[in-house]
Amino acid sequence: MTNTYGRFALVRTGQAVVVVLLAYILTFLVISVLPGDAITNSLRDPQHGLSEADIQRIVAYYGLDQPVLVQLVLSLGRFLTGQLGFSLQSNLPVAQLVGDALPSTLTLAFTAFVIALVFAVAIAYGAHYAPGRWAGVLRSIPSFFLSVPNFVIGLVLIELFAFRLHSFTTTDPNSAAATLFAAITLAIPVSAPLAEVLLASLDHESRQDYAQVARSRGLTEAALFARHLVKPSALPSVAMIALIVGELLGGSVITETIFGRDGIGTVVQKAVTGEDQPVLQAVVAISAVVFVAVNLAADLLTPLLDPRVKINETVDA
Amino acid sequence: MPTPRNEALLTVAGLNVAYGRNNVVHNVGFSLDRGGSLALIGESGSGKSTIAKAILRLLPSGSSAGGSVRFDGTEVLAVPERQFRPLRGRKLGFIPQDPGSALNPVRTIGAQAQEAAALLGPAGADERREAVLRVFGQVGLPDPRRVYDSYPHQLSGGMLQRVLIALTVLPRPALVVADEPTSALDVTVQKLILDMLADLRQELDISLLLITHDLAIAAERTDSLVVLKDGAVQESGSSREVFAAPATEYSRSLQADVPALNPDRYRSQRTASSALTEPAAPQIEVAGVTKRFRTGKKFFLALDKVSFTVERGRTHALVGESGSGKTTAVRLLLGLDQPDDGGILVGGQPTAGLSRAALRDVRRHLQLVYQNPFTSLDPSWRVGRIIREPLDRFQVGHKAGRAALVVEALEAVGLPAETLRRRPAELSGGQRQRVAIARALVVRPDVVVLDEPTSALDVSVQAGILELLARLQRGLGLTYLFVSHDLALVRQVADTVSVLRRGQVVEQGTVDQVFSRPEHPYTQALLAAIPGAGPVQQPVKAAS
Repeated sequence: MTNTYGRFALVRTGQAVVVVLLAYILTFLVISVLPGDAITNSLRDPQHGLSEADIQRIVAYYGLDQPVLVQLVLSLGRFLTGQLGFSLQSNLPVAQLVGDALPSTLTLAFTAFVIALVFAVAIAYGAHYAPGRWAGVLRSIPSFFLSVPNFVIGLVLIELFAFRLHSFTTTDPNSAAATLFAAITLAIPVSAPLAEVLLASLDHESRQDYAQVARSRGLTEAALFARHLVKPSALPSVAMIALIVGELLGGSVITETIFGRDGIGTVVQKAVTGEDQPVLQAVVAISAVVFVAVNLAADLLTPLLDPRVKINETVDA
Repeated sequence: MPTPRNEALLTVAGLNVAYGRNNVVHNVGFSLDRGGSLALIGESGSGKSTIAKAILRLLPSGSSAGGSVRFDGTEVLAVPERQFRPLRGRKLGFIPQDPGSALNPVRTIGAQAQEAAALLGPAGADERREAVLRVFGQVGLPDPRRVYDSYPHQLSGGMLQRVLIALTVLPRPALVVADEPTSALDVTVQKLILDMLADLRQELDISLLLITHDLAIAAERTDSLVVLKDGAVQESGSSREVFAAPATEYSRSLQADVPALNPDRYRSQRTASSALTEPAAPQIEVAGVTKRFRTGKKFFLALDKVSFTVERGRTHALVGESGSGKTTAVRLLLGLDQPDDGGILVGGQPTAGLSRAALRDVRRHLQLVYQNPFTSLDPSWRVGRIIREPLDRFQVGHKAGRAALVVEALEAVGLPAETLRRRPAELSGGQRQRVAIARALVVRPDVVVLDEPTSALDVSVQAGILELLARLQRGLGLTYLFVSHDLALVRQVADTVSVLRRGQVVEQGTVDQVFSRPEHPYTQALLAAIPGAGPVQQPVKAAS
């Protein structure tokens, strides 16, 4: 088992690295075929106030006077050695820009992830075990959560908790309380599909013969849930993790704007409006790494959770 | 408190069960003495499993039970769950139908066995483990330690059912409710499991409530039986008496439909084909066929120099248990897989190594009826389209002509013309299998491969399908390859038979030869395992 698993993990990790590289190359090509030479155009913008010598230096650094493929190799080589280039707008290293913004976004996304998980488990557990009418109410919550747009939730929470109840102030968006409410805003739509999948598999598993057999041995419903149902019910959700992370990253851009937080969202927004190619390229590359890493984690986790998954087949597939 | 010895262990009286407003069990009553055994018999929809669930208090939410179920001094339907829970497992055990789904797939056998062992009372995890390993040995599981550490998917169905029986009898319950405990198992395994269960019952003084659709098993394994139909009791009494002289029409038809009891049932319908005494031209010739599969680095020999011949208009049976190579043989015959060695001729034409177009031509004369009519018909298509599909594929005639052929095929299988507009979900299992047969016949094939065509059906429905197949064979001169694990069924429908075991033909000949003078020990074991092969002569196992 361990030997096979090690090989499987190695192959999967290798595949993940290939995916990241392809994503990087694709982004580079897409940005470079955009009409006009984005970098030189923005360099020649008088607002930058760059001298001709500065421009020459930057052109030489990115290899802009050379064919696209040479630029790609140059850029890829730097990416692999951890150099992300310099912002065209602020002249700061991209690594520093992203590095400053990342902790705020990661805090928000991670808090939101935990909250979404708690919400989803609570809704699924409640809806499955609540008697009669309450079950109906709880079962309708996920579709309600999904149908309310993220920014509406954010505005309602700010109105209610910041302006009426004074639980937090909007002037200090990085305080713990403000972060919590921003995370709740982000978590609500994310928790909905998770709750639905969890509930559906909990309903399914609790009807299985093995659950009946366990009941016939006198297990209480709580013991049945904890010992038998949690693990198989969680399996489909593990496969959803990548989807959730995507929603968290996308949603954090909007949430950061509503709550006035500085994060990756703000960096992306500025980079897009300012056609800041090195920053865009870096953010896409980092997102790809996050996505692929989370997917990889889900893939590596599944055989450990589910003994029925045959590793051989997974590698061949 | 336990009941005195003279009171029945389980008394069911006036039991009614409803799912929503739909009443599925009507005023059912019976009683089971301490140490005794009783069978609830009926077909799907008879309410037998619902009654079992009511006794175990495992009815799904949304159902309601009325009447009385008295078990060992406790009114099961009335007491709160808190008072009933101590009885679960300790006094009232449950063996479910499908061992493959009755254990949690993501936990080890040992982890689940610990739960059953915990019912014995306070003891350390190690002592419980010892108790589990002991009982695993008792039910004949080889290498109990390995089983303990395994996950369910690593064991065979027969081993899993042994595990479940072991865990059920471990706390020595007074009553075990077994819901079709062997219907998912091969016939030889079924016999071993039922024998083992009978021994354990005697040893541990356990009463048995057996739920089954098989009258022969009930007669062989229980003292008394209750025949159910549509949720109501048809008749009840001692197994031996009911079996020997059924009082009601329904019980008589149930008995008549047991293949083992009526080996010559379809003889009259089949006389035309069997009466051909001079050898007919061979329609299927399989010669020295070998097929290997690769699993990892090892090769697995699925078929080992298998040969058989089927004459035109006859029925040849391929008999064997799971893993015997039956399915591989069918796939090779249909040209879905290529043999590694040997040759297959159907109607004088090879099915291996053909171009797609040539294979299509062969397939038109070579049709298949699948085992499970619940999955072999596209649920979104109407019956008319399902039956017409092969005509469209093979471009038979013009459009109006095809519609006429579809109606003709539908009539031939005994379905009303209105069925054309139905979808599979609106049909019963037997009707679906008739549609599948019509689909196979509509292109006028010469050879039909019947892959366990009745194993998913009730015994009375099975009889109707077999009758139909016999009639069609005589009328159309069809050649059948009948694949089955059920020897009793084979004796009813086949002319010649090949017994497969681990990819080899161990015995071959006419049905009369093989059944009256089996030579290979494996064939003898298969024949001995047929339930009801002679239950009236055999003394019914007395209650301990």
